[in-house]
Amino acid sequence: MSEIAPQAPLLSVRQLEVVYHDVATAIQGVSIEVAPGSIVAMIGSNGAGKTTTLRAISGFLPAEDVAVTDGDIVFAGHSLRGMLPHQISRLGVVLVPEREKLFGTLTVRENLDFSLTPKRRALRNSVLDYFPRLAERQKQVAGYLSGGEKQMLAIGMALICEPKLLLVDELSLGLAPIITNEIMQILRVINRDLGLTMLIVEQNVAAALRIASFGYVLENGRVVFKGEADRLLGHQDMREFYLGDGNAGSYRNIRQYTRKRRWWG
Amino acid sequence: MAKPSPYLLVSYAQTNRILPEPYQRAVVGILVAAILLLPAFSGDYFLHLMNLCLIAVIGAIGLNLLTGYCGQLSLGQASFMAIGAFSTAILAQRYGMPFFVAIPASCCAGALVGFLVGLPALRFRGIYLAITTLAMHYAIIYVLTNYQAIVGPSASAGITVPPPSIGGFLLTSERGWYYALLIAAAAVLMFSLNLARSYIGRAWVAIRDRDIAAEATGVNVPRYKLLAFTVSAALAALAGSLGAYFTTVVTVEEYTLELAIIYLAMIIVGGMGSIVGSVLGAVFITLLPYAVQRGFDALPWHFGTTIFGVQQAAIGAAIIGFLLFEPDGLIEIYRRIATYFERWPFRYREIKASSAR
Amino acid sequence: MELLVSILALGSTYALLAAGIVIIYKASRVINFAHGELAIVGAYVFHSAGFLTGTTLTALSLATSIVVAAAASAFFGVAIYLALMRRLLGRPTFVAAMVTIGLAIILKAAIVVIWNSRSVGIPIGRQAVYNFAGGGRITWIDVISVLTCVAAFTALAIFFQLTRLGRQFRGAAENPLLAAQRQVNINLILAIAWGVAVFSAALAGVLFGSRSMLSPQSTIIGLSGLTAALVGGLDSLRGAAIGGVLVAAATYLTARLISPTLAETVPFLILLAVMSWRPWGLFGTVEEINRV
Repeated sequence: MSEIAPQAPLLSVRQLEVVYHDVATAIQGVSIEVAPGSIVAMIGSNGAGKTTTLRAISGFLPAEDVAVTDGDIVFAGHSLRGMLPHQISRLGVVLVPEREKLFGTLTVRENLDFSLTPKRRALRNSVLDYFPRLAERQKQVAGYLSGGEKQMLAIGMALICEPKLLLVDELSLGLAPIITNEIMQILRVINRDLGLTMLIVEQNVAAALRIASFGYVLENGRVVFKGEADRLLGHQDMREFYLGDGNAGSYRNIRQYTRKRRWWG
Repeated sequence: MAKPSPYLLVSYAQTNRILPEPYQRAVVGILVAAILLLPAFSGDYFLHLMNLCLIAVIGAIGLNLLTGYCGQLSLGQASFMAIGAFSTAILAQRYGMPFFVAIPASCCAGALVGFLVGLPALRFRGIYLAITTLAMHYAIIYVLTNYQAIVGPSASAGITVPPPSIGGFLLTSERGWYYALLIAAAAVLMFSLNLARSYIGRAWVAIRDRDIAAEATGVNVPRYKLLAFTVSAALAALAGSLGAYFTTVVTVEEYTLELAIIYLAMIIVGGMGSIVGSVLGAVFITLLPYAVQRGFDALPWHFGTTIFGVQQAAIGAAIIGFLLFEPDGLIEIYRRIATYFERWPFRYREIKASSAR
Repeated sequence: MELLVSILALGSTYALLAAGIVIIYKASRVINFAHGELAIVGAYVFHSAGFLTGTTLTALSLATSIVVAAAASAFFGVAIYLALMRRLLGRPTFVAAMVTIGLAIILKAAIVVIWNSRSVGIPIGRQAVYNFAGGGRITWIDVISVLTCVAAFTALAIFFQLTRLGRQFRGAAENPLLAAQRQVNINLILAIAWGVAVFSAALAGVLFGSRSMLSPQSTIIGLSGLTAALVGGLDSLRGAAIGGVLVAAATYLTARLISPTLAETVPFLILLAVMSWRPWGLFGTVEEINRV
């Protein structure tokens, strides 16, 4: 599982640079590769640029007056830079956003059927198999679902779009750890069953690296660390800064922590 | 000792100067001289147009304080002007009040109505407010229509206003009006420029940019919104009042929704949130119909009476064109040109401060 | 009874106008101030197409004008979106609303220039269907108005509730970026919204023109339509239908019982009442007030 497939990556982001409103540089030269069939995790603290990277890939940024100023995003031979969001998702790059991930005024069924074409009917049944809880609630208005059910519905909606690459942003946001783990496990099952490639962004580093095969660590708009998931899990700095099981006991160690962190970023 | 850079500001007073740089003061000086000497070189027709422009300038500055600075979209400008015009007509014609009583009284009447129309603004923003002011406009016009039917010689004929006398001097000639209106417009201009750079002006801009944040930083939002409506309506009433004296007759048919939209067009074309921009926009939009007429007179084929439609269409096209291609208006074009020459021979790329606007 | 029919007939015109305003508002949060102008221009086009060949309306020329006006209005709506509104995506919605004000001025000027401000009527359905004993009557156009309105609202309801495109439309109205991510072309949705809205405006204009004379001043019906939409709630189609009938009833009764001049102001008085009592309308969503 920890090996990178030798073939060409499905998605490669090269030296991406993103500038907000002509003033603030949010991403400065991020390069990421996602091998087909793998789960890749992008981790980092708030404001590291993970979400911005995902939104750049899925073409959301121009609508928010945010410009991709440099670099390239190549998916299966197509350059995604400058494409419109619906064109990108029709190519098979489908995003599950961080918030506002479903249509709150539509029912669960209508949400699932949003991008349904006659060809995709079988797909809807398999989605309901993965998330049996949704099957029970099809008549409900989606805005009144619980947080976990909303997340399941959002992933289900994305799956019906026939993704080749699923981008999942902050799956764990606002969810209990037990639900987060449950959904993460379902994602892993889907990855195995369908061979669906995934790029997930997480603050819950341990949970993300447990299902991912490869991880990128972002800080201040740069990739500061990357490697196979189990290497990252075992790495001393990772344990100390992100996994929270380093042995910083005393004040002296905390001082060292801040110094080290500054050195790193 | 080295001369300090002109761009180095060492006090708040310097950042707030209206004309920070020497060349600007020179330009304004030449402009003022040209404006004062204008009647010596031009005929009555041109001065008449200039007088219309000056009245429009006062109204447009009033609207820009409300919409451009405080961000309260209003379609009530024509009704405020109607209030001013009718107050003047009543005071001057029925009660024989002199010019210097009728004008301030009309402004007060306008301010009062502005205050009342502004009350819904405490509840609504944006388009909902525009719709409310639109309804207010029709309600006010309905009242005035009935009033005109009772007071005037007949329902459709308006109320005549006697020519004003200033210090025993009867104001009838275009040239006399030019200087009188020039003084009024200049006073309004100076008043507004100073208001805009005071605490009040900054409070308005804060409300426009984000009312919740303005409230959080200590701006009394309801008070300043109402103040914006009051000041704006008072200036509109002043414009309406001067217009009533100038045209010597007041009819309610003059103050249509189209007039309110034309004033909106002036500040869009001139530049939202810029006092000088409203002057440019007022002149541009006032002269546009005459320019269109001149332009079509030169063409071989004639529109006849439908030229009116073409003039209207030109105003509509100006609104759309500026909103689409130059949303910051004529003043932005001027700024770009000025910056180009100021920085020459260096190129200069401006950073957009925010995308929110 | 005759009063009721007249109110329903006028109300269906207002309801159709309101429906167009609601569709555009739902899709893009833009209030279309040019709706009355679009309706009256549509009616003028209908009239011109009908009288292109002769001085009387025949079945053939009527069919021509229906086809021409329907096609032209739908096409014009799409063109407005593609030429103007598309460029304003991502700008504050009141900017788009001001652009529609500019459009309104141009359209009204077009009536002056193209049709020379001529006052025209569309002579269809003037015959009586039923005469009352007291002297009142129901005309064909009354029946046609009400039936057209019911048919249009039924069609819209079916479209929004049962079809995939309608579902996508509702989703896009709520969250356009997510809809785009779910493979929906937002530009297509908005272009359709404008096409349908301008088509319904033209329909309302034709119905209005077959009841009263058309002139540049008739464009004021747009504001009655806007009032109807606000009474019902700007984001509710059901509200548009009910609001249309309510505004028509109030206008008609005032004209009958109090005075015709006051009747012109009645929509705005209703507007003020709605804004002070229930600004989100009868069926609208409360949060909408702070969205624009």
